[in-house]
Amino acid sequence: MEKRHLEKIHDNLWEVPKSYRGDMHVPARVYTNERMLEAILRDRSLDQLINVATLPGIRKHAIAMPDVHEGYGFPIGGVAAIDPRDGVISPGGIGYDINCGVRLLRSTKSFADVEPVLRPLAKALARGVPSGVGRGGPVQLKAKDLELILRDGAARAVAMGYGSQEDLNRIESGGRLGGADPERVSHAARERGRDQLGTIGSGNHFVEIDRVDTIYDEEEAKRFGLVLDGIVVQIHTGSRGLGHQVATDSIKTMMKAMARHGISVPDPQLACAPFRSAEGEGYFAAMSAAANFAFANRQLITAAIRRVWTLDDDELEIIYDVAHNVAKLERHPDVGEVIVHRKGATRAFPGQPVLIPGSMGTASYLLVGHETAMHESFGSSCHGAGRVMSRTKARHEIRHDDLRTRLEKLGIVAEAGSVKGLVEEAPEAYKDIDAVIDVVANAGIAKKVARFRPIAVVKG
Amino acid sequence: MFSVEPHVADVRLRVNAQTREELFTEAMRGLYSVLHVAPGTGARPISRHVVVDSVDLTALMVDFLNEILSRVHIGQEVFAQAKFATLTDTEVACELTGIAPAELEADVKAVTYHEADVHQEADGSWTTMLVLDI
Repeated sequence: MEKRHLEKIHDNLWEVPKSYRGDMHVPARVYTNERMLEAILRDRSLDQLINVATLPGIRKHAIAMPDVHEGYGFPIGGVAAIDPRDGVISPGGIGYDINCGVRLLRSTKSFADVEPVLRPLAKALARGVPSGVGRGGPVQLKAKDLELILRDGAARAVAMGYGSQEDLNRIESGGRLGGADPERVSHAARERGRDQLGTIGSGNHFVEIDRVDTIYDEEEAKRFGLVLDGIVVQIHTGSRGLGHQVATDSIKTMMKAMARHGISVPDPQLACAPFRSAEGEGYFAAMSAAANFAFANRQLITAAIRRVWTLDDDELEIIYDVAHNVAKLERHPDVGEVIVHRKGATRAFPGQPVLIPGSMGTASYLLVGHETAMHESFGSSCHGAGRVMSRTKARHEIRHDDLRTRLEKLGIVAEAGSVKGLVEEAPEAYKDIDAVIDVVANAGIAKKVARFRPIAVVKG
Repeated sequence: MFSVEPHVADVRLRVNAQTREELFTEAMRGLYSVLHVAPGTGARPISRHVVVDSVDLTALMVDFLNEILSRVHIGQEVFAQAKFATLTDTEVACELTGIAPAELEADVKAVTYHEADVHQEADGSWTTMLVLDI
C-alpha cells in the first residue's frame, strides 16, 4: 500500500477506493492527517483494513482510527459494520481480549491533597489490585457464581457486594450485554478465567492515578464533575483468560464452518460465519458472556481500589466505563441495524463519554461523542495512542533505569511487577496521543473535554 | 529451531525443522520460550494424550499450539517431549510428557492464524511463521 492509492476526503480523513482491489465490497477509510498517514503506511495496517473491506455483508466503509496499527486479521483501531441479515460476524474483528476496556473514576480530592501520600497510595494499589501473570483474584468463583457473572456482568458483581446500583448507571450498556448465554462458554474458557476475576493481568493493562491538567470544555467537564488539578483513576483491562479462550474456541469453530457456508477470506484470522447461523449466534452469545465477565472484572477492581483508597472523606465515583474490543447490534443512519465490530475502537455516541488512555508517561483524554460519528464512523472513535515500536525493540533499546529516572522527573511513580512489563510499555513505544486526539477532534467525531497526566502507574 | 522476530504489537515466531513432527515440537518450545516457563514449586512429571483435528496442516499447527497454551494456563502443564502417533494434514494425536505445575513470566493470549503457513522448502525442511497475541 502506497500513499498514491489513497484519496484525501478532508484534512483528517483518507480513503482507499473500492476499485483498489477486486474483492473489496466497500471502500476503506482511515482517520488521519497527512503526517501520521506516512507512519501508518510503514506497517501493514491498511492492507489488513482492505481485507476487512472484503467481509460478506460489510456496509458503507471499513474504518481505521488514527491510532491504527498492524494487528492480525483486523488492524488494531478497526471498525466494521456488517448487515446481520446477509453478513457475517468475525471473532477476529473483536480480538482475543474481549471487552478490553477502560473505566474512569473521579476523586473528590485535588492533586495537592494526594501528592503527599502518592507513594504509599501507589504501593497500596499495587498490593490491593492483583496484576501480572499468574496472580489470582480476590474471589474463587463457584460454578453457579461464574454462571451469573457471565449472564449479568457488573450487575452480578454489585449484587455480590462490589459496588452500587449507581455504578451500573455509568457503565456502557449498564455493564451487561443482554445477548449473553453462559452455556456457550466452554469448560476450558471457564477454567482459564476461574481465578482471574478482579485482576489486571499483564501487557498494556494498568491502574493509573492521573491529575487533570487541561479542561477544554468547561460545561462538559462540569457534567462529569471534573476540575483543573482534580484527581482521576483509570482502569484498563478486559476479560482475561476467559475471553482469550472464548475467542480461540470460536475462531477454530469458524475455520471449520466457513467452507460449509461458502465463505472464503483473504486472511484466515478473519474467519467468520453468517451472523444468522449456529456458529455466528453461538459466538455472539459467548462473546457477550465474556464481555460481561470483563465488566464484572472492572467492577471488582473498582471495589479493590476503593478499599485501599484511604484518603479522608473521599469517594471514588465512576465517570464512565467503555469497551474497546466488542461487537454490538446497533442501529445507524443509512444502514439500519448492523453488527458493529470494534477492535481497538471506542463507541462514541453523541454525548457519551469516550475514554482514551495514553501510555504510562503521556496524557490520557476524556472526550464526548458527537453526532458526526453516527453518520461517519458508526458511532466510533479511537481507543488509545497506538503502538509504533515492537515489544522486542523496546526491550533492546530502552534501559529500565533510564525509564524509571525519566518517569521520576515527570513526577510519575511506577509500581511494576516486572522490568520487562515496564520497558515494553515505555512512552516512546507509542504514537503521540495528542496528535491522535487532534485528528479525532478535528474530524468532528468526538470533542475534547479534559486531559489527564499520570502521577502513579501500577502494572503487572 | 525457532527465532523471535519483531512485530509492532505482538510476537512473530519463525520455526524451522527437518520433519513435520520436529516442526510441531519446536513450535511448542518456541511458545514456551515466549512464556518464559520454569518449573514451579513441587513440579512433578506428567503425561497427557492430546488429539486435535483441523481443516488443514497450518490450522492444525495453530490449533495444536492453542491446546498447549490452554493447558499451561489452566493446569500449569508444560511439556518437553512429544511422541506422535498420528500427524496427518488434518489430525494430530500425540503423547506429551512434561511437568506441572510450571510458572510463567509472560502471558500469551493466543496463537493466531495470521501469517501462519506450514510448508515444505525445496530442501525438504519444514517451516512456518506464527504470530502470537500478547
